[in-house]
Amino acid sequence: MKALTANRLTDGEVVFWKAGHWVERFANAQLWTDDDPAAIETEGQGKAQATVVIDVYLIDLVESEGLWAPLSYRERIRALGPTNHPHHGKQAEGGAVIEALQHAHGAARSTGRVNLIKRK
Amino acid sequence: MYQYDTLDRQMLADRSAEFRSQVARRLSGEITEDQFKSLRLMNGLYLQLHAYMLRVAIPYGSLNPTQLRKLAWIGRTYDKGYGHFTTRTNLQFHWIKLRDTPDILDHLASVDMHAIQTSGNCIRNVTADPYAGATAEEVDDPRVWAEALRQWSTFHPEFSFLPRKFKFAVTASPKDRTAARVHDIGLVLKRARDGALGFEVIVGGGMGRTPYVGPTIREFLPVNRLMSYVEAILRVYNRHGRRDNLYKARIKILVAALGKDEFARQVEAEWAKIGDSVDLPDTELARIRGAFARTGFETLPPVSDAFETAKAATPAFARFARNNLKPHKKLGYTIVEISLKGIGDTPGDATSEQMEVVADLAERYGQGDIRVTHEQNLVLPHVKLDDARAVWAALAEAGIATPNINLVSDIIACPGLDYCALANARAIPIAQHIAEKFRDQDRAERIGELKIKISGCINACGHHHVGHIGILGVDKKGEEFYQLTLGGSGAEDASVGAMLGPALPYDRVADAVDTLVEVYLRERQDGERFLDTFRRTGVAPFKEAVYAEAH
Repeated sequence: MKALTANRLTDGEVVFWKAGHWVERFANAQLWTDDDPAAIETEGQGKAQATVVIDVYLIDLVESEGLWAPLSYRERIRALGPTNHPHHGKQAEGGAVIEALQHAHGAARSTGRVNLIKRK
Repeated sequence: MYQYDTLDRQMLADRSAEFRSQVARRLSGEITEDQFKSLRLMNGLYLQLHAYMLRVAIPYGSLNPTQLRKLAWIGRTYDKGYGHFTTRTNLQFHWIKLRDTPDILDHLASVDMHAIQTSGNCIRNVTADPYAGATAEEVDDPRVWAEALRQWSTFHPEFSFLPRKFKFAVTASPKDRTAARVHDIGLVLKRARDGALGFEVIVGGGMGRTPYVGPTIREFLPVNRLMSYVEAILRVYNRHGRRDNLYKARIKILVAALGKDEFARQVEAEWAKIGDSVDLPDTELARIRGAFARTGFETLPPVSDAFETAKAATPAFARFARNNLKPHKKLGYTIVEISLKGIGDTPGDATSEQMEVVADLAERYGQGDIRVTHEQNLVLPHVKLDDARAVWAALAEAGIATPNINLVSDIIACPGLDYCALANARAIPIAQHIAEKFRDQDRAERIGELKIKISGCINACGHHHVGHIGILGVDKKGEEFYQLTLGGSGAEDASVGAMLGPALPYDRVADAVDTLVEVYLRERQDGERFLDTFRRTGVAPFKEAVYAEAH
């Protein structure tokens, strides 16, 4: 499965695509199967929203405790918040999806991020 | 400290207004992200994992209480109530909103601060010895020269688009607290036999992907020729630096490729062409020097009865005094190091309340002077021994009296994968696990000086190459692994650490460090530091212990 993520332009908040708009919680993200061409099409739509978001890319998901979680550790930290401050970021809200993300194990980088690797 | 004049303030106001207009144009869609990104980076604004990050410049790590209070206020108002001090002696705010940034820059400008040249391929914040003006070791005040370099390099048109970023460190003591030998240019002030002051000029040190201890290209540069000489270095670099390859673009690669003698020859040739027209006039030097002259010292006895009594009565204060107080050049005074490495805390983080406590203490007991160290701690450089106990008590109340300066839990760690868009692995939790492992303060003191430095990626913001124990986070098929190096040093005996062996998984690192320390305690002789023992024994006993346990 895949989801589409970005950072919101005005505040840098991590956001996920859901049916034409961007939501803050991964739990509300729209998901696509790996072979669904709509994912790529939607990525294009997301990138076109240049005054709303930046760094738009698809992330791979993995099943965790019966729910979906980002495969890569980096993406789980984005969806949760920093591990040194459990009260900062989205993890502070708690809930089943947050817990599933916290317990997830993955073994790969996000495929879509390769084009975005930034330089200092 | 150096005071801005009206011209400086007008420049900051103009720059802030310019950025406000750039942000508005970006938000309206008038300019694209590609066009905007370099503009925001020129103002220290990065996009990190969870939010924007604003890196505020703290020239040579020097702050007054008004500035620190303003940083505390910005942290509380626009961030989550804290800030993160970095190995460049800057302060980073990790939860910043783009739309707030123009206002934040205005607030910074109101206390003569900014975020200019904290990013990009330009001359970055110049660092200096945090004990400047306070230690008896120094032959001159390095801040004078760091300030001169700051003025020269700020908005310098010729050096605003270098092949890559460029970092200076200036020290005037034989004990190097700036990591001068792993900077693009390290300047070590020395006094000749005839009393003349000069710089040892070290060029082409660095960390990152290709670490080098920089060679000395000139043993003694007369101080009044500093500006023309560094201009010559920068010109040679600007002309021949590898703009074609990001990974080979730092000056260290050029110096290594040419060899230090040929590089030095080219610098000398360029220097001869420049002449002395850009050197600092004596009058200007005197003006800058005057800003650092300190007249507030009292004549005090060498021994403070109050201090001695407090140490005898309060073992916790005695421990703090042993580890965090350093000798001052004036009798009856001390340098107070404030550890931002509380056990279990995030290295380098200070809450807004803690910053305000430090600002208050500096004002009340410390002649209004605060420093940031490249090891992510703070310093009150001028405190009377009579007042040391009161300062300690206030720090303890604020949770920042950890008595661990230069000990095993005084760990440098970059923000790592918890915040940084470049990182491959976390650094902060590794530091926390290690600090927990050495929570016993008696044991930590028995171990003695041990510098652990952790980076979450090869860019080495956490200085892992020069850690006595260096730890580098790597990504192995999506899992966090950690490569350990031993025997590095960023001090006057600089060296790049040697690889211990195969990378270790996240949950094995703190135990491995514990094992390394046990080997050191077993092997050490005659008061050796960890580093000395390692240099004598080599890697073998350490490697054997760590990897024997791994099986």
